[in-house]
Amino acid sequence: MNAVRPIRVLIVDDTRLARQELRTLLADIPNVEIIGEADDVPAARDAIDALHPDLVLLDIQMPSGTGFDVLDGLESTPAVVFTTAYDTYAVRAFDANALDYLVKPVEPSRLGEALQRARARLVAAPPAAEPRGLLGAEDQVFLREGERCWFVAVREITRIVVDGNYARVWFRDECALLGRSLATLESRLDPTMFFRANRNTLVNLRMVKAVDLAVHDGYELRLRDGSSVAVSRRQARELRERLAL
Amino acid sequence: MTRNELRFVCINSIYGIAYTAMNVLFFSQFARLNSATWIVSVSLGVGVWAVTSALRIAAVRRQWMERGRGSFTAALASVVVLGSLATLLLTNLVLRGSTALGWIPQPPRSSLAQSIGYWTNIAIIIGLWVGFWAGWQALARYRHGEIARLRAESERTTLELDALRARLNPHFVFNALNNVRALINEDPARARETVTRLSNILRHALEHSQRDWATLRDEIALVDDYLAVESVHYEGRLRVRRDIADDALDARLPPMALQLLVENAIKHGISRLAGGGELTLSANRGSGRLRLEVGSPGRMAVDPPPHGVGLTYLRARLAQAPVPGTFELVEHDARVLARLELPQ
Repeated sequence: MNAVRPIRVLIVDDTRLARQELRTLLADIPNVEIIGEADDVPAARDAIDALHPDLVLLDIQMPSGTGFDVLDGLESTPAVVFTTAYDTYAVRAFDANALDYLVKPVEPSRLGEALQRARARLVAAPPAAEPRGLLGAEDQVFLREGERCWFVAVREITRIVVDGNYARVWFRDECALLGRSLATLESRLDPTMFFRANRNTLVNLRMVKAVDLAVHDGYELRLRDGSSVAVSRRQARELRERLAL
Repeated sequence: MTRNELRFVCINSIYGIAYTAMNVLFFSQFARLNSATWIVSVSLGVGVWAVTSALRIAAVRRQWMERGRGSFTAALASVVVLGSLATLLLTNLVLRGSTALGWIPQPPRSSLAQSIGYWTNIAIIIGLWVGFWAGWQALARYRHGEIARLRAESERTTLELDALRARLNPHFVFNALNNVRALINEDPARARETVTRLSNILRHALEHSQRDWATLRDEIALVDDYLAVESVHYEGRLRVRRDIADDALDARLPPMALQLLVENAIKHGISRLAGGGELTLSANRGSGRLRLEVGSPGRMAVDPPPHGVGLTYLRARLAQAPVPGTFELVEHDARVLARLELPQ
């Protein structure tokens, strides 16, 4: 078996001793490379942008905001394990399946398991060769709506609809507002996967259940979540080529 | 109309009708049932119904239940005596009226003894009702009082629990333990000291907080321990300036009150600033009052307003004192100042 590439970890916590403690614990786990530390929200965002860590150990309470603020608006979210002294409230806001978190003081075995899970996810979805390239199907994005948060893999997104200046993302049985324009999102998504059905809507073609003919040479896409999206006449030809109808 | 009122209106009416029916039955069995005895039966039933209804309404409106036991009993007894007399007179009046109108033949005159007999009869009927009604009300009041007592008890327990949670902030405790873990490798002597400080705080929270009052001297010692543990956490970000007047050290204050203010100053002030800030702590005494002030950089939260568990407890605690103390939060020069004044 080939030597496993070390998992590159960024530690984010506003307390120096807490960061030091995580360093000590990580030193006992093989194949871990600590690539940096950050002590507040802006520093953490800069470090993630600059270093592209595989995994972020992320404190929830920091001086200028929360760990969720760090993730909000990141292009693509790295694997994240939250660390908290006692913050069941913040932790509960999260979709339980997507969230991995550790309570401080961290038990070494729990940290080992969390790293194992992050490693498994990395193997399943190797990072894009070009970090600034398109988002792949397995890349995850962080979505937040009010008090609730989710990690969502790109393949789980059904459609993205214009909502004012922003975009509303529909996934699983939920939706959340994303603070970016539809055009910006379109430029970051794989065009073979996402199709601009009309001026307002991007559709994940893998989520299309059926294509119905509609008036004016258009189509009606029926999606797996039960919704349907009209394809404008202008885009209908494009869709035919794409699906080789 | 409440359900209870409706219930009694029904019972009242049924009672009046039943009394009429009973009289009709007695007349038919032991005398002759004619138009005169019908009129007597109905008139007695209406009288009893009117007296008991009036009693019920008057008692509720004028809150007879709130009076002392003697006054309440006297009121009920006079209702029984006078009410039955009124019913008797009403019946007499109705009979005379009916005779005058020629509906019934002239009834035989009743002797005094007979009249007293009728009066007693009616008094017993009304008395039965009053007894039943008063018993019912007393039971309802008892249950009501019991519920109020249980509710007050549960509120008190909740308050105590909140107070305990406010004193033993788990965030603080687990962060402190995590820091100690790191210090054990880095600076064992400081780790040992921090464990001692943390133990003092926990012991104080568990033991002293059950007292009604603590001296400022004890509370300052607690705050010193607390700030020492928080300094391990925030390091250079937490800077403290103290100004404690010596003559204030023997003043009394609710246990853990000062610690609560310091904790809030760190939580809402120091911890929100990347570079930290200065926490000021001052205490002085004059004109019979202890004045405490804890300040930290920051702005007053407009949303949400400062109504945390800790301050709610503190305000409740201040209100309990014979001469209530005052607590206020003010913003001054981009600093939030918590001011506590306690009469001594």
